[in-house]
Amino acid sequence: MKTITTDFNYLAAKTAEEALDLLCEHKDDDYRIIAGGQSLATAMKHRLIAPEYILDIKGVSDLDYIRFDEQEGLKIGALATHRAVEKSPIVREKYGVLCEMEENVASVETRNWGTLMGDLCNADPAVDPAPPLIVLDAKITVASKGEERKVPAEEFAVDFFETTVQPGEMATEIRVPPLPPNSGVHFMKYSQIHGDYALASAAVLITLDGSKEQCVNARIALGGVGTTPIRAKKAEETLKGKKITDEVLAEAAAVASEETSPISGIEASAEYKKDLAGTLVKRVGKEALERARRA
Amino acid sequence: MKQQLNIVVNGEPHELFIEPKTLLVQVLREHLGLTGTHQACDSSSCAACTVVVDGMAVKSCSILALQVNGREVTTVEGLAQGKNLHPIQQAFIDNWAFQCGFCTSGQIMATKALLDENADPTREEIQAQLDGHLCRCTGYNMINEAVRDAAKRLKARKDLESQKWLQTAKSGKGAK
Amino acid sequence: MKEFSIIGKPTPNVDGPAKVTGEAQYTIDMTLPHMLYGKLLRSPYPHAKILSIDTSEAEKLQGVKAVITGKDTPGGKWGLWRRFRELSDQQALATDKVRFIGDPVAAVAATSEEIAEKALDLIEVDYEPLPAVFDPIEAIKDDAPMVHEDFPSNINATRHIEWGDVDDAFAKADYVREDRFVLEAAHPCAMEVHSSLASYDKGTGRLTIWTSTGSPYFVQQNLAEALKMREGDIRVIKPHVGGHYGGKNSTMPDAVNAAILSMKTGRPVKVVFNRDEEFTTTEHRTAQHMALKLGMKKNGEIVAFEVKAMTNGGAYTGLGATTLYLTGTFITMPYKIPNYRYDGVRTYTNIVWGTSIRGFGAVPGKYCSETQLDRAAKDLGVDPLEIRRINAVAPGYTAPGQYTFESCGIQPCIEKMAVRVKEKWPAIEKDEGIGYCGFAYMSGGIFNWIDTPYAYSSAHIKVNWDGTVDLYSQAADVGQGHNTVAAMICAEELGIGIEDIRLHMGDTAHAYTDLGAWGSRETLMNGNAIKDAASQVKQKLIDIARLKLGENIAYDLVARNKRIFLELRPERGLSYYDLVKDAIRQNDGVPLTGTGHYTPHNKGMISPAYGMGIMAIKAKVDRETGHVTARDVLVVHDSGQIINPLGARGQVEGSIHMGLGYGLCEEMPMDQGMLLNPEFVDYKILRTRDMPEIEILDVPTYEPNGPFGAKEAAEATIAPTAPALANAVYQACGAEFFSNVLKPEKVLKAIRAQEAKNNAASQAKE
Repeated sequence: MKTITTDFNYLAAKTAEEALDLLCEHKDDDYRIIAGGQSLATAMKHRLIAPEYILDIKGVSDLDYIRFDEQEGLKIGALATHRAVEKSPIVREKYGVLCEMEENVASVETRNWGTLMGDLCNADPAVDPAPPLIVLDAKITVASKGEERKVPAEEFAVDFFETTVQPGEMATEIRVPPLPPNSGVHFMKYSQIHGDYALASAAVLITLDGSKEQCVNARIALGGVGTTPIRAKKAEETLKGKKITDEVLAEAAAVASEETSPISGIEASAEYKKDLAGTLVKRVGKEALERARRA
Repeated sequence: MKQQLNIVVNGEPHELFIEPKTLLVQVLREHLGLTGTHQACDSSSCAACTVVVDGMAVKSCSILALQVNGREVTTVEGLAQGKNLHPIQQAFIDNWAFQCGFCTSGQIMATKALLDENADPTREEIQAQLDGHLCRCTGYNMINEAVRDAAKRLKARKDLESQKWLQTAKSGKGAK
Repeated sequence: MKEFSIIGKPTPNVDGPAKVTGEAQYTIDMTLPHMLYGKLLRSPYPHAKILSIDTSEAEKLQGVKAVITGKDTPGGKWGLWRRFRELSDQQALATDKVRFIGDPVAAVAATSEEIAEKALDLIEVDYEPLPAVFDPIEAIKDDAPMVHEDFPSNINATRHIEWGDVDDAFAKADYVREDRFVLEAAHPCAMEVHSSLASYDKGTGRLTIWTSTGSPYFVQQNLAEALKMREGDIRVIKPHVGGHYGGKNSTMPDAVNAAILSMKTGRPVKVVFNRDEEFTTTEHRTAQHMALKLGMKKNGEIVAFEVKAMTNGGAYTGLGATTLYLTGTFITMPYKIPNYRYDGVRTYTNIVWGTSIRGFGAVPGKYCSETQLDRAAKDLGVDPLEIRRINAVAPGYTAPGQYTFESCGIQPCIEKMAVRVKEKWPAIEKDEGIGYCGFAYMSGGIFNWIDTPYAYSSAHIKVNWDGTVDLYSQAADVGQGHNTVAAMICAEELGIGIEDIRLHMGDTAHAYTDLGAWGSRETLMNGNAIKDAASQVKQKLIDIARLKLGENIAYDLVARNKRIFLELRPERGLSYYDLVKDAIRQNDGVPLTGTGHYTPHNKGMISPAYGMGIMAIKAKVDRETGHVTARDVLVVHDSGQIINPLGARGQVEGSIHMGLGYGLCEEMPMDQGMLLNPEFVDYKILRTRDMPEIEILDVPTYEPNGPFGAKEAAEATIAPTAPALANAVYQACGAEFFSNVLKPEKVLKAIRAQEAKNNAASQAKE
């Protein structure tokens, strides 16, 4: 069976500060950051990557947190595991969609060790957390020694398996603002096998007016249908200002479908994924609407 | 350059010197000779290599051993007490929850982690916990039944222990 | 049905404690002192001449102890179809050319796996790529590249089966339909990859090899040919095996090269495949084209059936030629076919070869025949279960020159199914459908393609002073539970407990040949041999008991509950343990022994006995995504006398898992001979949340050819699963398929095509 056969220099950090120092020191070197390492191990076994340095941040406990306050919302540290998010009572209460998403990420074993941030940093276009974080208007803090910048979730991934994180930088926190009142959000992915990588996924956030009749805001994010997760902005426009009915949702679905540029793969063609994205938007939007009405 | 690794495996402390590229599964199988943990894939897709680290079921093939430094690992070899099988192991036998047995240690360790956290899981909860585990022999349904049975047995054992404790407490014996 | 002490009672796996504690050793777990690790260098081309191989750099790498190429091997060719020597087409390492991506050309033994892998990178091979062929229809064309030059064409094997007058019957039929199908390849996906640990003793010139196999005997035969050694100088030991499903019958380069490397280095050598090697270079379920022509009377009674198959054999024969034959026979079962013709062609192509995966040829054929049957039923206005009932065979049915069903419960199975379906599924939801499929399957094969001079199954027992029994046979438990069945049969016959029996199975040193675990043969064939051996010992004990009890010769004595006693007067008997001691004393101190064997004679061409039944699957279709959910499965099965109900259930459910995979998501797409999904991340197999509830009902019959009336119990259920599912989808929404693997995109296209057809039809009406 395959193992990691390429040697590397192993560096481990115990605090965020240490990690940023090491990153600064090695920013011109061929390095990779490892947290849970669930994707990294497989990539290295297959010799897809063979970095000279591995910077292990799994022990950076000061970034292992999930916090909430009513003003600033939810803060998820880089070392929070998928499982911690999945089981967090405060996340379940305030942002249940994130728990629902986590329940179907890979397997319990992967979620126990792998981090939500690590998954985002891997930047697979079908990565589950991206669409719900995008519609929730999350921001990701990217830090380097002495500096910090905040990146909107939809700008975090820039290409296949590539993020905006530069050499010497590290993503440290995900911040999710409080949900606007009268809002509902839902996420669904489709794969033929339960819990598998998504063929396509969709997250929809709908905000209604006080009377709960009209949609004042809609955010739609799709996974697996581009080189990165995408916002379906044109589809959002078809929902805003309207009383959402099944027909309106169907139109949004069709428009969203057109905004995608999926790639054909072994499992399905690009045409199917386009179609699927539309179907998911329709179904997810309907549930998001119900949740907004109940909010 | 080799680095020191200190881990407790099945209650026994070990000090090893390993290359950083060494995976936890290699430490268990090759360095410690605990071959009960198996590997059935190279893409972290099958969970056959599941062991319990600090109470969590994890894939030992996808973790650098150095990340487990200072932690406690339980493998399938750590469940039975001498000749007495753990109730989970006995439930797997009595419910024909394995055939070739190659994926079994992973299923059992994931079950251990589940039942330590949730003593009375529903069928859905069992399936959610074991969904990462590939099995080519059983079709899974008999495994799920074994886990339900294991939960019952563990509860019965716990009840029995509570009763014994209660009796001891009532009789005043053993009180210090 | 007769009441037994042990047979028929749920019995936990005798290997249970070993497997649940991690004590069980699989080949992949084993180590020996001074062991080296072997790796194989494989061709990146589907078809190429080998111009030169330079191993000098690899040999220099520290830790490398041997590097071999084709010229360093004994050069023997082998194959399982030894009856036709030209089909012994496999070799340890390619010599003049490579025939598929992954064909091994060199092997390395080193002190660690990592060093062995690094050494492979240092071997320089100069290839001259040749044109390659990947599809059987292309392979039979005149200008097709030749995969094996010593063959007249790329046709590896053909099979013709015929009875009655098919052309005349078609001419007279009320209804005729023809359909063509394309069946995909699938991989057995054993969780333990191919692994072998060979240890050659230079002093004695003898080889011992532990290998993950379903047939130690086959490995021994093939190694003798590959290594040009005597069989008797080769000992093959099967440790615990982590799955087989027909993919570990052939002796593969892991075993042969481990042996050669051990011979060269004088040290034990272990070869373990990576998972991608397992997918790309080991045997799989053969892809094929099939054409079926069905002729019926108005009422749905079959009058004629003609089947053509063109199978994508790949680079070597393996058991593919047998599979070709069996495809043409299983496809007729369990129905009365008065006139039949089958023509099967297996071609060589430049892909890894297809062979005898679980179902042994029944799977692709039944997919075609049973989905065709549902369409015929629709056209004729006959209920799909009724059409199967009309055509189902009765006990004693004979397909001329091919097979006879002695025990045969298909009709009571269908009756029971009809009743149970109404109870279980009184109403179905929108977009749900119920699909049926009838099936029958062998209990071991008759045709001796391996050309063995030995009995197909033998077993030896030795009873010791303390009454413990040592049972020896080469029979293979690969997870199906045969060790438990073997112990149960032996214990039942001797009237003792399983705890009294020590098994010594799967080791050729024990010389009691068994052909291995394939075609559901172990229970019937090895079981008969064990029962035979045990009955010899039992007779010796009975003879002594009769003497000691002094009873009337008319009274029969039986063995049960560790006693031998009068059947009619149970209180008059003697302890088994005492009788054993008497017998050994009487035998000049020699332990009691019995040697049993079984070879089927005069039982047709296929098998002495057949398990059979009918399956129903309720499935739901999502019309917008094309997702098919198998919700519920009902199997009504005639497995004769079931030996171990736990094991039988496990086998049925495992078969259904693999069958659902064949019908939903398992495929092996290739690009110019390169497999695109050689890891579990891309080769999809079902997980726990994808599996339906399964209910199994039993229609017990008594199979005269099997031990205690037993016959195959469970490989049969893989073949009906995918067609029953496809039929459920057809019933739910009219979508038709002419290939397996109902991926969502394919289903969605078919649904939309059907909806368009319906719209056009209703518009035409207006």
